[in-house]
Amino acid sequence: MLSRSTLSRNAPRALQTSVVGASSRRGMASATQGIQFDVSESSGVKVANREAAGPTGTLALVAKAGSRYQPFPGFADALSEFAFKTTLKRSGLRITREVELLGGEVSSTHSRENVVLTAKYLANDLPYFVELLAEVASQSQFSVHELQEVVFKHLKYRQQAFAADAEAQAIDAAHSVAFHNGLGATITPSTSVPFEKYLSAEAIAEYAQKAYSKSNIALVGTGSNSADLNKWVGEFFKALPSGGAPQSSASQYYGGEQRISTKAGNAVVIAFPGSSAFGTSGYKPEASVLATLLGGESTIKWTPGFTLLSKATQGFSQLRASTQNFAYSDAGLLTIGLSGKADQVASASKNAVDLLKKAAAGEVASEDIKKATALAKFRALESVQNLGTGLEATGSALLASGKLSQASEIAQSFDNISEAQVKDAAKSLLSGKASVAAVGDLHQLPYGQDLGLTL
Amino acid sequence: MSAPSLSSYIVKRPWLKNWMMPLANWYTDAAGYRRLGLRFDDLIPEETATVQKAIKRLPAKEAYDRVFRIRRAFQCSVSHTLLPAAEQTKPEEDVEYLSPIIRAIEKEQAEREDLDNLVVRR
Repeated sequence: MLSRSTLSRNAPRALQTSVVGASSRRGMASATQGIQFDVSESSGVKVANREAAGPTGTLALVAKAGSRYQPFPGFADALSEFAFKTTLKRSGLRITREVELLGGEVSSTHSRENVVLTAKYLANDLPYFVELLAEVASQSQFSVHELQEVVFKHLKYRQQAFAADAEAQAIDAAHSVAFHNGLGATITPSTSVPFEKYLSAEAIAEYAQKAYSKSNIALVGTGSNSADLNKWVGEFFKALPSGGAPQSSASQYYGGEQRISTKAGNAVVIAFPGSSAFGTSGYKPEASVLATLLGGESTIKWTPGFTLLSKATQGFSQLRASTQNFAYSDAGLLTIGLSGKADQVASASKNAVDLLKKAAAGEVASEDIKKATALAKFRALESVQNLGTGLEATGSALLASGKLSQASEIAQSFDNISEAQVKDAAKSLLSGKASVAAVGDLHQLPYGQDLGLTL
Repeated sequence: MSAPSLSSYIVKRPWLKNWMMPLANWYTDAAGYRRLGLRFDDLIPEETATVQKAIKRLPAKEAYDRVFRIRRAFQCSVSHTLLPAAEQTKPEEDVEYLSPIIRAIEKEQAEREDLDNLVVRR
């Protein structure tokens, strides 16, 4: 017989453990389920849809036409600026007003690999927005006066914003010395690039026809019914041209150094070959773990966190450090970015290289590596699930391989990483060529060789 | 160009058009702008926002030619001379180059006005 006292003492605890177990298990299951995309193809266009019934939906058109694929500088910028402008059927003004009336949101951006047109809408308006995206892709007018009056002006502002951001310039310069052409093409032409002579309405129209051809785009949707989406895509995307895509040569890593003097700020970016996107041959999760291990930004308030760089640069009050892994479809770039006051950037960049050497020598606490692995895993999974980055990543993966990565596979790839792998990754970075970009007060910013890097 | 015009009424009726064309050609020639090397679209008053915008949208070559014609005509006017016959505008050269752009801009403005005054019924 159980005494009443034992029962009463243990019952709450038993209840507690069972509840915790159940909720954590359910949490895992729903996390993997919510991430699944239905992949299909309708009228020759790849469609991925995440069926999560809700009052709103999102649809993104991902075209492999980013700055990597552009034939001349500024084309990817201009193409993304030309989205939702006058088409053969209706004017840009009418599109804007109609979207306003329906209560949606349309936007267009571009990255190094993709031009992304995004529409967010109330779930009932799905057909309208599918038609709108198809119209923008196939029937945009690319009129000369819109190029002169709208696109060029926006491009000027973009250039100015870019010129005012030393860190963005440094990352761009690091890409250009690392990859030369293709991925090395500037994401937004700097103010001194003579892009106007290449940019004409006819040339953009020709680029758009290739960029928005059936084989070159993928549609990624969330929040709507897959059957409905496929039906409307099949109806509206029929008219898109098939075949012909902008070409880019396979990426090759070169390395080197670039120094740009500017008054906009100070930044040093030290870059190494990193991990490419998941599911490609150059995928090295240990590189992303190394990136989170070096880190620089804390994930928690009021503390420098565990990352090596943030601990080392704790004394610098006017410095921002962050390590990132830019993953592309056939290459990756691991960048250590430091920006802020020139003297602090100079000494912190020496610290960063020392820390990398420490990691290569295996002088890092194994606990830190575990934390870094957990954070890298979280970041990788979050970026797939996150609506903003996930749509482009999904579209990109769909275009590259035709299938999508499973969350469990991504998680698995991080679970298998050992400390030795991270150490070896750091070693191979140091033995290979680095790409160093210094932007700002060059009198104070160091050369790559002074930092002890091979260039 | 908002002056009342019978032209659309006449153009719609071929017999009337055939009858009126010689008269129209004579009148245009008698207006004399062709003898100064101008085209009809050069005479459109340019002191309005719409026409200014249209002039900005002209292709570079057209805009240059327009300024050239106007300056040449101005010189002729100052010196009280006409151009030699070879340099005068021929009827087939007197084509609309600015009016289509003006009409497009007017259409855009009308559309904007319509959309601004839109009443939504659901």
